[in-house]
Amino acid sequence: MNKQHWQRVSPWALVYFVLHFAYRFVKDGIFNLLPIAVVFVTQVQNKLFWGQIAAAVAVVALLVYSIAYYINFRFCITDDHDIMLNKGVFKKERLTLSFLRVQNVNIAEPFYFKPLGLVNCIFDAAGSVSQEVVLPGVTTHYAESMREQVLTYKEVEDKELTSSSSQYVQNDPLLSLMLSNKEVAKFGLMSNMAILALAALAPFMNVIFDYLEDAVIKRLEVFYEQEVGTLVNAAALAVFSILFLVILVAVLLSVIMSLIRFYNYELYFKEGKFKRIAGLLERHQLSVSLEKVQSIVIKQNLIARLLNRYTIQCFQATSGLAAGAKSKQSLVMPVLNIAQVNQTLLWVYPWLNRDNFDFKALNFKGVEKALLYKNTVFYALLPSLIIGVGGYISDVLHPLHGVVGFCFLSVFVYLSYVRYGYYFYQHNGRYYGIFRSGMLGVQYRVFELYKAQSARSISTFLMRNSDLKSLSIQLASGSVSLPYLKSHIANDIIDFTLLQAESEQRRWM
Amino acid sequence: MFENHQLDALPTHQDIIFKPLADNALFYVQVSWLLFYVPLMCVLAAVCYFNEAFASLAQTPLLVALPSILITSLAYNVLSVRLRGVAIRNHDIAYKKGVIWQQVTILPLSRIQHTEIHRGPLERKFGLASLRLYSAGGMSADLNISGLSHGDCKDIRQFIQDYTQPTLTQTESTDIANTDESINE
Repeated sequence: MNKQHWQRVSPWALVYFVLHFAYRFVKDGIFNLLPIAVVFVTQVQNKLFWGQIAAAVAVVALLVYSIAYYINFRFCITDDHDIMLNKGVFKKERLTLSFLRVQNVNIAEPFYFKPLGLVNCIFDAAGSVSQEVVLPGVTTHYAESMREQVLTYKEVEDKELTSSSSQYVQNDPLLSLMLSNKEVAKFGLMSNMAILALAALAPFMNVIFDYLEDAVIKRLEVFYEQEVGTLVNAAALAVFSILFLVILVAVLLSVIMSLIRFYNYELYFKEGKFKRIAGLLERHQLSVSLEKVQSIVIKQNLIARLLNRYTIQCFQATSGLAAGAKSKQSLVMPVLNIAQVNQTLLWVYPWLNRDNFDFKALNFKGVEKALLYKNTVFYALLPSLIIGVGGYISDVLHPLHGVVGFCFLSVFVYLSYVRYGYYFYQHNGRYYGIFRSGMLGVQYRVFELYKAQSARSISTFLMRNSDLKSLSIQLASGSVSLPYLKSHIANDIIDFTLLQAESEQRRWM
Repeated sequence: MFENHQLDALPTHQDIIFKPLADNALFYVQVSWLLFYVPLMCVLAAVCYFNEAFASLAQTPLLVALPSILITSLAYNVLSVRLRGVAIRNHDIAYKKGVIWQQVTILPLSRIQHTEIHRGPLERKFGLASLRLYSAGGMSADLNISGLSHGDCKDIRQFIQDYTQPTLTQTESTDIANTDESINE
């Protein structure tokens, strides 16, 4: 019978629990309290007094719950190489996580643990957020030794399972990539974090707009009327100014968010393993084994094109529903110039890095023109006809607007068509696929064929008549698809992908 | 296909001979559809009966549209069930479906993480079951095959278990081939 030695975490972990549950309360519970908030605002007379009472009750409840959670929180590393965790207050849970199921062991150093030399040790289970184990407030030494223990055990098991040796040899030099904070700030401009920041403000939009109208727009209107007179519409100018300000604030928020996430970005690569350390409030240490990476995406959106920068994301296995939540665990290299992309690809896919790598130099094969015709009809011609005819009947728009709309939409349809492409390459007995897609931006998804989970072909009556098929390959990190290929090509891709998935002995996860 | 690799002859999925669904699968699909559609028609008829204004406006279009939709749907169901088929190969399971968009999905057995057999009241009445197969990364079941006989469902599940069991014992891996038979009362 194996020995079970149950341990508690440091009492300082209480700080983590308090902050964690406070965050959870704000994130998950605040909207549920909106009806109470409405009653409070409209019905309660002495708001300040009752507000203070409510806040005090909430704080006491949070503290009591966190203390009870801490008391019940115990963990144990068994001789069978399992991590066992007892937790919960009202609903007590026992979670057992085998070392083999641990995808990564990440170490996060929140700012409040920094003076104490403590960290959070996060055991990331493959594909499930609810199965993630966090040991808060353990010493750095303990967290690192746990990581070593888990990874060593997995390595030994992997070697026993597959005789095929890794392509990475021991004593490889430690490779590194550092990003300056100035570069990280550019990610704020490139990413959609500005939209996320605005989305976070969405519930309060009405209040904000009312406030802006009363407090700012009217004053601005008066100011513009005095300064520019009747040359331009003062009201329109005021609204435009506010819009400009909102966008500016959103971009600023986005930059701040990216700095919080990727501050002092350091990436190391050795013996097929990435280690990334970044973060302002919490120094988050993420380790990812390249063998566990299901696909890599190299993308460049419109703003990134202007800045001449790329983003690389290494995706691990996700259970579909948790894909969003697990995005925190995907390794992101936020802002890379072409030289850094080359450098990173040299570590990961040496075969891609040929003579100053340029994706445009790869011999991508495109999809069939039928896709262009179909999309032009459905996404350019039909909407334009509706605009033109509708405008003509309602006398609101000139039919010429329909023609302009058609030209405009056709450009997008064409860009989307030319971006589709695929490229397959064999290197040392390993088979890789690169699928290209995009419209204004472009993204390349690189994956090893044997990691496919399933394959699907789709065709309509017209497509079958034209000997065409679309294909979709399900990966553990999402699906990739290619529309409108010649049937024999789509069939070959599906058949070869399946052959790889079914005959390859290496672990896919 | 590859820039630097010549493909040899591959086992081709186009040659798969699919086994049709169970005999009474069509009957089950039609009854399920009617159980949804007939009450809807009754509600509309009741509204027409009690609300003259609505009846004068909508009665004629409804009298034309509702039977047309009913007949079209029943015919569509016939076609849909006939076009569905399932096939088990040595290392994977294939399922085809679709009338307008015809799909063939092939799932390697080694990638199956979880299998489920569902039986609703109607399915139990007709001796049918639905088989759901899950792999990693999908938003829902990769394959959801309804209209199989319960016996076929259990056989397929057993085949999958037998296939994945050696892997399971060898690697003591994740939830491979966890099974769950849920019965919706």
